[in-house]
Amino acid sequence: MNELDYLRQMRSLNRPVSPPRDLWADIDRQLDAATVAPRRRRDRARPWLMAAAIAGVAVLGGGLGLHLVAPAGDNSLATTGHAWKPSDPRLAGAAVELDAAHMELTQAIQDSPESAALQRLLIRTERQRERLRNLDKQAS
Amino acid sequence: MNALCLAATSFMQPELPVASSDDDVVRAAVAGDRKAFETLYRRHADRVYGAVLRLAGFDHARAEDLTQEAFVRAWQKLEGFRFESAFGTWVYRLAVNVALMSIRARNADPVTIVDDEHLPDVADLDNPVRAFERGELEQAIAALPPRARAVLVLHDVEGWKHEEIAIELSMAVGSSKAQLHRARGLLRRVLGDKP
Repeated sequence: MNELDYLRQMRSLNRPVSPPRDLWADIDRQLDAATVAPRRRRDRARPWLMAAAIAGVAVLGGGLGLHLVAPAGDNSLATTGHAWKPSDPRLAGAAVELDAAHMELTQAIQDSPESAALQRLLIRTERQRERLRNLDKQAS
Repeated sequence: MNALCLAATSFMQPELPVASSDDDVVRAAVAGDRKAFETLYRRHADRVYGAVLRLAGFDHARAEDLTQEAFVRAWQKLEGFRFESAFGTWVYRLAVNVALMSIRARNADPVTIVDDEHLPDVADLDNPVRAFERGELEQAIAALPPRARAVLVLHDVEGWKHEEIAIELSMAVGSSKAQLHRARGLLRRVLGDKP
């Protein structure tokens, strides 16, 4: 099979597919929550803003503290700050991906703070970051 | 009699005639008309579902969730629709974005990096491959790592350009090309492994 035949076969997969069941009822239900969301958003955003602010201050404080304590050239900082980058290039690539995913999720949550799925994804991303850090520690 | 029936039927129909253009229906939906939004869903659900199904590796349960999320997000963002493109294109791109976001979150798992290492050598790409049944191709695509699958589906199935893929997946154009190269190789290996 040459390149053209391959592409022809692949393009043949590009077709509309009917969902196995009517999804409208579920969507309609979710729209109720989505419709009132803008009004609630401000009220709900406050605890998030507080939490984010506290976390930001903690990270900043911790980073500054480490910066003052750590001697010049000490690369232990590399594993604590937000600019952490693993030495293993494969892990470094994953770290970049995780950072990007984290940033996107944070932005998406700002748009839809009521989305439990996004919150779960954010928590999961943070856990994966932690796992990556552990992998990096083990590797080094 | 026919005219009477027609008049009675049109009286009983919702405000939007079936043949209304998408733009008219979108305007009604922006004004809060949920029925109008249902009309948009009914017109575009199949295209959206087809795209997210392919990106989700033909996992119907996930495709259902992604389709629902896409239409909920479309409802939330409808006021921002500028009528610069067709509604169908807009909601399709939005759905792809939702699916890619989900893939990103899953693909961030370091396990995927190991999968990536197991991708075939360049030499494998030169092997001739026979024509395949649609089901075989779908199964092989479903077996790909999520990110490689996303690039392959967007480029080879949906017909996107590398530049567009790179933007959507926040990667360099070169990375998109490399991912596609690897994905095609893996696809051929998966297909070749079949008896």
